[in-house]
Amino acid sequence: MNKLTNVWIFSDTTSKLAEIISGGFQLANKVSVIALCENDAKEAFAYGANEVYLIEETDTSNIIENYSTTIAKIINDIGKSLILMPSTKRCKALASLISIELNAGVVTEVSEINIENDSINCKHMVYGGLANANDVINSEASIALIASGVFESLQKDETKQAEVLKISFIQKKTTIKCIERKIKESSSVDLNKAKNIIAIGRGIEKQEDIKLAEELCKVIDAELGCSRPIAESEKWMEHERYIGISSIIAKPEVYIAIGISGQIQHMVGVKDSQTIIAINKDKNAPIFDYADYGIVGDLYKVLPAITQALKK
Amino acid sequence: MKILVGCKLVLEDQDILVQNDGTLDFSKSNIKINPFDLNAIQTAVDIKENNENITITALSIGGEKLKNIKIRKDILSRGVDELVIVSDEKYENILPHQTSEILSHLAKEQNFDLIICGDGSGDLYAQQTGIKLAALLDIPVANAVSKIIKIEESKIIVERTLENEIETLEIPFPAVICVSADINEPTIPGMKAILAAGKKPILEKEIQIQDSFLVETTELKAPKRKERAHIIIEGDEEEQIDEFVKNLRKVI
Repeated sequence: MNKLTNVWIFSDTTSKLAEIISGGFQLANKVSVIALCENDAKEAFAYGANEVYLIEETDTSNIIENYSTTIAKIINDIGKSLILMPSTKRCKALASLISIELNAGVVTEVSEINIENDSINCKHMVYGGLANANDVINSEASIALIASGVFESLQKDETKQAEVLKISFIQKKTTIKCIERKIKESSSVDLNKAKNIIAIGRGIEKQEDIKLAEELCKVIDAELGCSRPIAESEKWMEHERYIGISSIIAKPEVYIAIGISGQIQHMVGVKDSQTIIAINKDKNAPIFDYADYGIVGDLYKVLPAITQALKK
Repeated sequence: MKILVGCKLVLEDQDILVQNDGTLDFSKSNIKINPFDLNAIQTAVDIKENNENITITALSIGGEKLKNIKIRKDILSRGVDELVIVSDEKYENILPHQTSEILSHLAKEQNFDLIICGDGSGDLYAQQTGIKLAALLDIPVANAVSKIIKIEESKIIVERTLENEIETLEIPFPAVICVSADINEPTIPGMKAILAAGKKPILEKEIQIQDSFLVETTELKAPKRKERAHIIIEGDEEEQIDEFVKNLRKVI
């Protein structure tokens, strides 16, 4: 793989800077970061950034996307190249806005990236996770939004600091005003860290019945997850427990699917589990194609019986 | 007030077959309205129900799929007032930078206040089209919109749910909003709506844009699946459950 001379980096989330900068050094010899606050600038230097451009604007009613014109101008003036961002919702919007100003190609949710003959190759999931597409970005400026965990974070060295390059903010013609910003009530669950996961789907008839799966979780030390309908349509469980393409993608040692049919959009979230176990009354459910062990039967009979048996 | 809604047609992904070599066979797949766009249409319909003098125009761009009369009626039965179509073979598999360009030409011909798009599409899920459309029209845009709070004469107030934060935004018209899948539960059209759909106007437009090679898809392939043991027991009597438990004990 050849390396680029330089790469641009922007992250709306401070904690994502480390991995994106790490990716930057794998792809290019020089890393330039665009930051919106002093703290992010310091972080960027600590992770090894060669230079940091700090946009000076103090009005907090601005949303990140209001900076698109300023960011595009910096890149246009200094030199178009590859721009890396994390694949967050804000960065997706920002990237699309910048791409129009810089005539840049954009690929989102990139799971693999490499450079061949000055073309940027990006791999990303399509058709709900059924396939991967390889997209080539041919434009002079190109933007890749990197999925979580693609690059490992670098070691931080707080002593590495340098002068920031200050840039003045360019106001857009019409802007969006943020009138309130609140931190999302976050749940303490992190399915990504769970050794075992048990997940429930449409086969569970009522909310009260979730406790049947919770019992089994206690017995085998598993976290409880669910398929999309349980979290989004029924709202029986919190979003942080929903497994699938637009939410949690985990790799537990054991994954047990209870009353989950196994649509690709869900399976993308657990297909790399070490062992997959399925309980479903429909013999033809796609979940059995992914399973190491399975039972075709009524979950209301099977679940209490195996919970009892495994307690012993 | 005039609302435009972006509406993409996608293939039913459950019917896409993966061949032995990892390539995809689309020949058995039916077409459907992009699920995220159903949320966009429903958002427009909800606004119409709660406000006076609102018309909704759906915009759809595509190739052969769009020639299908049934799917056109399906779009119209969801509560939009009219449908504007750009159908051309070469627009069959276009990428967001091209779709947004065509949409921008369509939008410029309409005197709109608000454009509503889905956050992404069920097939490519690039999540760029609505935002690029706004950039081309040089108007404000917000994605991940999860709630419409209020509509006033010159602006809309929405809630936007990000990874760790919720923002309340004031967006001046004209504007684009891209809505998330959890903003509403799209209504399934009733008999009356289906019958009424046949009488609603469909406008076919011809729009030509220059070929663009900013991004090209060079390969499309299903990832290799992990080998699995596939030990499946049929039946839920005591005997079968015991056997299943034996299997579970091997890994738990």
